[in-house]
Amino acid sequence: MALLELENLTKEFNGLTAVDRVSMTVEEGTTHAIIGPNGAGKSTTINCVTGLLEPTEGTVTFKGEDITGAEPHAVVQKGISKSFQTASIFPEMSVMDNVRMAAFAAEHGAFRFNFLRRRDSYDAVDDVAFRMLEEVNLGDVGDVPAQNLPYGDKRRLEIAIALASEPDLLFMDEPTAGMSPEETEQTVDLIEQLQEDLGLTIVLVEHDMEVIFRVADQIAVLHRGGIIADAAPEEVKGSPDVQEAYLGGVEI
Amino acid sequence: MSTDDRTPNLVDRFVALKQQEWFLFTTVAVALLVFPWALIDGLEIVAEFIKTDIGGYTGLPALILIYGIVVIGFNILLGYTGLLSFGHAAFFGGSAYTAALLTRSGFIPELLIKSPILMILIGSLLAVLLAWFIGFLSIRRSGVYFAVLTLTFGQVMYYYAMGPGGWLTNGDDGFTPDPGELLGHFALDQSFPGDLPVLGDLPFLSTLLTDWFYVLVAVTTFLAVVVGYRILKSPYGLIFEALGQNEQRVNFVGLNVFRYKLMAFVISAVFAGVGGALYAMQTLTLHPNGSLYWIISGDFVIMTALGGVGTLFGPIIGAGIFEYIRLVLSGIEIAGYEFGGMWRLLLGGAFVLIIVLFPSGLYGGIKNVASSIAVRFGNTTGRTRERPEHEPAERGGDD
Repeated sequence: MALLELENLTKEFNGLTAVDRVSMTVEEGTTHAIIGPNGAGKSTTINCVTGLLEPTEGTVTFKGEDITGAEPHAVVQKGISKSFQTASIFPEMSVMDNVRMAAFAAEHGAFRFNFLRRRDSYDAVDDVAFRMLEEVNLGDVGDVPAQNLPYGDKRRLEIAIALASEPDLLFMDEPTAGMSPEETEQTVDLIEQLQEDLGLTIVLVEHDMEVIFRVADQIAVLHRGGIIADAAPEEVKGSPDVQEAYLGGVEI
Repeated sequence: MSTDDRTPNLVDRFVALKQQEWFLFTTVAVALLVFPWALIDGLEIVAEFIKTDIGGYTGLPALILIYGIVVIGFNILLGYTGLLSFGHAAFFGGSAYTAALLTRSGFIPELLIKSPILMILIGSLLAVLLAWFIGFLSIRRSGVYFAVLTLTFGQVMYYYAMGPGGWLTNGDDGFTPDPGELLGHFALDQSFPGDLPVLGDLPFLSTLLTDWFYVLVAVTTFLAVVVGYRILKSPYGLIFEALGQNEQRVNFVGLNVFRYKLMAFVISAVFAGVGGALYAMQTLTLHPNGSLYWIISGDFVIMTALGGVGTLFGPIIGAGIFEYIRLVLSGIEIAGYEFGGMWRLLLGGAFVLIIVLFPSGLYGGIKNVASSIAVRFGNTTGRTRERPEHEPAERGGDD
């Protein structure tokens, strides 16, 4: 079943077309990678889906519902969550509170009047938060201020925050950027674990080909704002178009 | 948070006790009870020794608490959400004028309301409506633009009250409020009785609580602390703190940032409104310069920063120091020289000194010193639930 459908998605900035009539379908339960050289429009595409940018044209359909131009918090409430390229965390709050934030939003919606009730009394929220911390192997450091975590752990915390929103679809923006080979390995393991444990549908933007070929079921290749290929990894690997445009004709 | 598996020592037990809500609230109640005595009679004893008149006077404790209430709310906005408003005088003064006007309704005699409690409720209601309006328009911008927008709205109200609104506010001549009796029985300036109907003869209560106005202010302060504490411990507290640290992430966990910021703004305005209405009962003449002027908004900022941004009690201490310098220390003579109108020079000096010594404000500084003493004397739990904000970084991930 198609979970997310982009149809002719276009984004123009003052005459510059960053995303040009992109159409793609993300099937439920799959991991869909988006690759492309710098400036190909990968981030802009994601931002148009998650609500940071409003597309100039085209539609975004999620679970059969048109969510084009919805605000970020509304998109998250629909079930699309995003993990950022840089560890976008709450540095002075504890690791647990970082995740709790997202769990609150998932349990209680985008806004609610509950300013006189102690938050210790929300057991369901704590359960979700703790489970997600365990999922990314940060269960032991719940009390530590988030800013004191090593970089790799911060990125995992970032993923835990995205998970605590209890999404159906997770966008991961370069989850291994800036990581050591060891940390990259751990992250790939984590993604595989998420695929298995939670049955998550994942859309992954990534530069590391090794990572992509390990986790992706389908690869979409963006070039100058347009999609030039969208197929299974083996097919994409063999496509002369892709090699020409993205890989510069070099064999991989 | 139980530490039953370890043998608890005194410090641990105190830390555990401190986390109990009832213990905290009882401490606050006791502090409010002895505050006037400490400020007036207590300091008088010190004054005898150093032969300098540094004692407080009747009325000062209530005034300090009034500003304390305002900055509890202001700090929820500045210290947690990170929104710097320069227009909170609008809510303070707006509520003060509303409350004052109710007591002398020359226009609609049926609307004459002299009940102090109703003055507070209606004054705060106006503050809420104002905050909803001003916040709705200002919160769309952030940083300096937000500060300037709130400043502008505040100044609009100030100039209206000074000039064209003079028919209502009496402008530059000032407005004299005429509050009635508390619960229809107790005149605000009447001494608190030493003999109570049920409890019997307790003369010390009369000394401690001075007059009925102080009782009203103290009870309101107590409620303000309880409400402020509950807000900070509620989901809102967490969300406000998160907003101050990474607004975009709050949006991307699925929370409506605009509405939560607006709530923080409105909540802080309620506290300003409650303080404003009490101020209208305290002051003999309500003047725009003392209630609506932008300097008053700036004073709230200074009080909050002095005491400790991001702590519940810090700002109240900040308000205390601010008013003590303004109203008491400005009057003392040093080598035949009196500060008088130059009290802001003294305040500035104190401000610089405190911020240099304790970057997190006086209360944060005290807390840090206290926690390092606690660690030295064997706090085995190590980390308390309320971490000091500026604890030296510890390497995480390896414990």
